[in-house]
Amino acid sequence: MLKKFVLIFVVVLFFGLIANDEVSEITAEEIIKTMTETLNPEQSDALMEMTIITTGGQERTFVYRGYSKNKGEKSLIKYLEPGRVKGQTILMLNNANDIWTYFPKTKRVRKLATHAKKQKVQGSDFSYEDMGSSDEFIDDYNSVLIGEEQKNEKLCYKLELTRKEDLDVSYSRLVIWAEKDTYMPVVISYYHEKDSTLLEKELFLSDVETIDGILTPMKMVMYNRLDNTETSMVTKEVTYDVDLPDNLFTEMGMKK
Amino acid sequence: MRSKASLLTFVVLSIMVGLLVMPNASADDIDIYGYFEPQFVFIYREGESYQMNSDKLRLDLNHSRGGVEFGSDLIYNIYYGKRNWNLLDFFSDEIRAEVPENMRSYFLVEFRDTLYLDNVYLRMSNSRIACTIGKQQISLGTGYFSNPIDVFNSKDVLDPTYEQPGQNGARVDILLRDRMNVMLLYSPVEGDWENSGKLIRLKVGLGHFDFSATGYEFKDYLTDFYSLSVTGERRRLGGFEFVGELFSLGVWFEGAYNFMEISENFYEFLVGTDYTFESGLYVLFEYQRNERGKTNYENYNINDWLRFYLGENKTISRDQVYGMISYPMTDLVNLQLLSIFCVNDGSAAVVPVIDYNIFENVDINIMGNIYTGSEGKVYNSRLGNGLLMRARVYF
Repeated sequence: MLKKFVLIFVVVLFFGLIANDEVSEITAEEIIKTMTETLNPEQSDALMEMTIITTGGQERTFVYRGYSKNKGEKSLIKYLEPGRVKGQTILMLNNANDIWTYFPKTKRVRKLATHAKKQKVQGSDFSYEDMGSSDEFIDDYNSVLIGEEQKNEKLCYKLELTRKEDLDVSYSRLVIWAEKDTYMPVVISYYHEKDSTLLEKELFLSDVETIDGILTPMKMVMYNRLDNTETSMVTKEVTYDVDLPDNLFTEMGMKK
Repeated sequence: MRSKASLLTFVVLSIMVGLLVMPNASADDIDIYGYFEPQFVFIYREGESYQMNSDKLRLDLNHSRGGVEFGSDLIYNIYYGKRNWNLLDFFSDEIRAEVPENMRSYFLVEFRDTLYLDNVYLRMSNSRIACTIGKQQISLGTGYFSNPIDVFNSKDVLDPTYEQPGQNGARVDILLRDRMNVMLLYSPVEGDWENSGKLIRLKVGLGHFDFSATGYEFKDYLTDFYSLSVTGERRRLGGFEFVGELFSLGVWFEGAYNFMEISENFYEFLVGTDYTFESGLYVLFEYQRNERGKTNYENYNINDWLRFYLGENKTISRDQVYGMISYPMTDLVNLQLLSIFCVNDGSAAVVPVIDYNIFENVDINIMGNIYTGSEGKVYNSRLGNGLLMRARVYF
């Protein structure tokens, strides 16, 4: 009987150690890959409300319909409110490396060069790059798992991402706290393009719900620590169970 | 008054037609929006100051269901302040002397209150084809300040993004494949096929570039302001353009060669570049050459000036350089400085602009204009330096 208990104890300990080893051996790349997949489902159709709070405390609210396809490689934003931007559309292809804007009053489509990725979208704290680039964490940065840390009352993996050499991306360094159970990022810190110690922006993701089987942060708030402004994005409606046609992500789709 | 009444009747009829072609449409389905735009213009010229103000109301009606969209907008403009101008007052003494005394009254212009349908169209589309019939916006070209290919519109270089009037036409857009589409347009004139405009335009995306080729045949009109006669001739325009980036700079080119039936063939092109700095500072430069423009300002005549103002010619002189610097002071305030330089006569216009989104749906736009050239040049101070203040309230 004693032998049997000892055997069970040894087996449990053995497999427990293996299991622990597996957890500790998870790499930063694997976490980033899973996180990127969670944040960028195959397709999505969402109604979003974006509220900007300026340095002076004034608020501006925009409502838009956002569509994405191919895990965020293609995205289209169509503004519904307020009246001054109604009908304006932004098309981003190749992870926001190609951007077009459409102005309904003149029915004119304008292609923006890559440098425009750094521009603010409608004066918000999100740049085109922040909104349209789905693969940036994998392709543009080298990642290192620093350890585990409590963040916003959640046990998280803490990761540091450093910009790959010779890449023209807006941030020199990112620090990401991703929830250990779900790999959902809780906070992302963005460091200045020229100074990797200067905190430029912080993104807080919260109110996570499971929609169509996919974890979705229903609220995201971007704080600009240099300008002292903030922009919140609230998901009003979202579905992932859609089959968006490819022609939605074209010049013709922008005008629809 | 009668024309206003008939316009209103036309609006109502258009809406009814729009609703009829869309089964199950009701008044609740119609999206009504627009803006009210009061504008104050102060002009200072030759020791005198003037005010010419206006109130503009734009009312958009739109209904869309499935693949069918009906859109229209009605514009009502009211002018007050100095409404009557004589165009000759803006020209040099030499040019004025060319106009016989008995013809001077023909150059009087009155800004009258207007009510008109700017756009009214029906658009039917499926996944690959969109067909638009009616008075609609047609905007061609990649240039910011001017568009050599766009013979439908004539941009004001001091205010190049301001909306343009609608054009009559039947248009078909066909998506051939991803980033490749063709546009066909028929723009009727005098109800006859031969003189009507026929356009074909192919647009292809390759890498970070978009390329377009345009062919357009139409009847072009040139006015002779000495004899006050208009001559029409067939014009065939072949255009090519691209937009993309090189060495991290945005670059674009837009060129057109015009084969004229009677007058001399001519070319026109524009090339531009832009860049956004990390601070948000945005800079843009364009160079435009128009072979129809003149190289020596002493040869500018009244035809050159008035054809330019009426949009018959894109420029008076041959070579222009445009520049824009834009900087977001805050999330709500944007500063701009436009500069327009005529290479041939050395004159320039400088236009400082402040855009302020003062409330959620209210934009304030303050714009100055300073002309530096001496009399007779394209941007001469006789045109009057001024200040424009415009508010736009969206609803």
